[in-house]
Amino acid sequence: MRWQLYKKDPRFVFLSLIFLAVLLPWLPLGASTNYVLRIMTTAVLYMILALGLNIVPGFTGLLDLGYVGFYGIGAYTSGLLSIHYDLSLWVILPLAALNGALWGTLLGAPTLRLTGDYFAIVTFGFSELVVLVLRNELWLTRGPMGLPGISPPSIFGHPLTSDWEFFYLILLLLMIVLLVVTRLQDSRLGRAWFAIREDEIAAQCCGINLIRYKVTAFAISASIGAMGGAFYAKWFKFIHPDMFKFWESILILCLIVFGGMGSIAGTMLGALILIPLSEVLRAVLPQGMFNARYLIYGLVLVLMMRWRPEGLVPFERAQAKKAKLAQERLEI
Amino acid sequence: MVNLLDQSSLFLQQLVNGITLGGVYALIAVGYTMVYGVIQLINFAHGEIYMLGAFLAYTMVTVLGIPFFAAFILTILVCACFGIILDFVAYRPLRKAPRLAALITAIGMSIFLQNLALMIWGSQIKSYPRDMFPAIFLKPALSIGEVSMTWMQVFMLSITVLFMVILHLIIHKTKIGTAMRAVSQDKTTSALMGIGVNRVISFTFAIGSAMGGMAGVLVGLYYNAIFPTMGYIAGIKAFAAAVLGGIGSVPGAMLGGGVLGIAEVMGAGYISSEYRDGISYAVMIAVILFKPSGLIGRQIGEKV
Repeated sequence: MRWQLYKKDPRFVFLSLIFLAVLLPWLPLGASTNYVLRIMTTAVLYMILALGLNIVPGFTGLLDLGYVGFYGIGAYTSGLLSIHYDLSLWVILPLAALNGALWGTLLGAPTLRLTGDYFAIVTFGFSELVVLVLRNELWLTRGPMGLPGISPPSIFGHPLTSDWEFFYLILLLLMIVLLVVTRLQDSRLGRAWFAIREDEIAAQCCGINLIRYKVTAFAISASIGAMGGAFYAKWFKFIHPDMFKFWESILILCLIVFGGMGSIAGTMLGALILIPLSEVLRAVLPQGMFNARYLIYGLVLVLMMRWRPEGLVPFERAQAKKAKLAQERLEI
Repeated sequence: MVNLLDQSSLFLQQLVNGITLGGVYALIAVGYTMVYGVIQLINFAHGEIYMLGAFLAYTMVTVLGIPFFAAFILTILVCACFGIILDFVAYRPLRKAPRLAALITAIGMSIFLQNLALMIWGSQIKSYPRDMFPAIFLKPALSIGEVSMTWMQVFMLSITVLFMVILHLIIHKTKIGTAMRAVSQDKTTSALMGIGVNRVISFTFAIGSAMGGMAGVLVGLYYNAIFPTMGYIAGIKAFAAAVLGGIGSVPGAMLGGGVLGIAEVMGAGYISSEYRDGISYAVMIAVILFKPSGLIGRQIGEKV
């Protein structure tokens, strides 16, 4: 019955999920409350990152292997700005997003002319170069010593310290990103992206400027990634070049492939399932074997592509859904 | 050291080292370029086959006690079989799926194999026992002034050149080679001409993986260090070499490997050793941006 309610209005599920999330810090979890909250904050952070990445492979159909580069750029923008200039989070977030978009445009404008395979490999090279620069430019990033002592964000002069405050903050960010992404999906921009994904040549024949729309997609995706990084730096208060290695890109890619490429609900569900799962693995697997969880992520990628390429929650356009319903009615 | 050597002999020494390294990149790059030529897929897992080659030879020598040269040949054969299995399990079911799906599968296989190796052999850097190969390997074979070349380097270079020649003959003089070139041009038409397309693709994977496994053993010998993540960096560099030469072209892969090996060693020696890996990425990005067809590749137009 509840499911029918969802079919009628998907907003119902979203509202009940938000309700659950808002309630989460006050559930009687006893001593493990903070632990659960930290895991959920990570999960929501990855939801944001996955929503951002989803725009490129999900909406536009291009494989982006360098997403973590923008995440790292955002985190270092945030860390350096708060250490050197002591800016507030609300100034840093847009600045980090802008910086991400800038690098996304710089990288995207020349490389998006290429075919999909070459684009994938160039983005990979880019993210590796980002890590190399973070590691070696000691004057800027302190290199392998990392960047400690990032001040916590504050709201109206009240510095955030406890886990539930950060959880609400990231929830708020998720709401903003979700709003942006859903509005984009149903806009003219979104329709152009889907057209490019389905058939580039046909899209071009319909007058879609491929480069412009692809670069826009890439820049928006990059800015969301950078925003996630900005929050991460402020939350974790310490960043290190190794946090932004290629594996993170694979993990985020895995989230959206598992949940459903192109589907917003699927992407979020992927993060909601796989991120806490990885924390469970951290507890179960012996020390030193923790990295072997990537074995599972690799397997997930292969198996999903083989047996269920559309993911757990397949992508469906609102318009197409309406058309299908109308069709069914006609057939009856 | 720099003071002792004069600049020109330092340069020559770097050149020798670069060419040796480039030969190994070329061996790996051949696997990428052949698979790409035949099924237009970047086989990300190819770097992992190279890593498995290094570990298989290590295990054969240390655990099973097989003599080095026998282990070398066995590794090549096992890697060839492994390539066929990889294609059969992962890529063949997706032959008709969108290219994005195959590409994601390739990434997934690469991650999977790498972590499998991590679980089997652990993350410590391992080295081949010194007594497993003839001691003469470490002695200089040629030395002119300050420039020297060890027997190991001679061995590596001659193996590389030998197999490149064999590969060239296979592709251009044999029936299966003709079939490979036909399949790379048009799968449907070649199937209509009676070519077993899947058999040809399996053969391509076998040859590419054999070369990759061989390169793994050679690098393991040369640097004396093998570890589960070695395939990921070398794989990308070899891919850069393949792109540099022109993807789909075997002589291109050789040329690209050579140029990249020299560029990397020179860059590390003269520009900055911290950015050693960065040089390959930068070369790759620059080539893809400015001359995507590579040095001697043919222009690939988009089919409508």
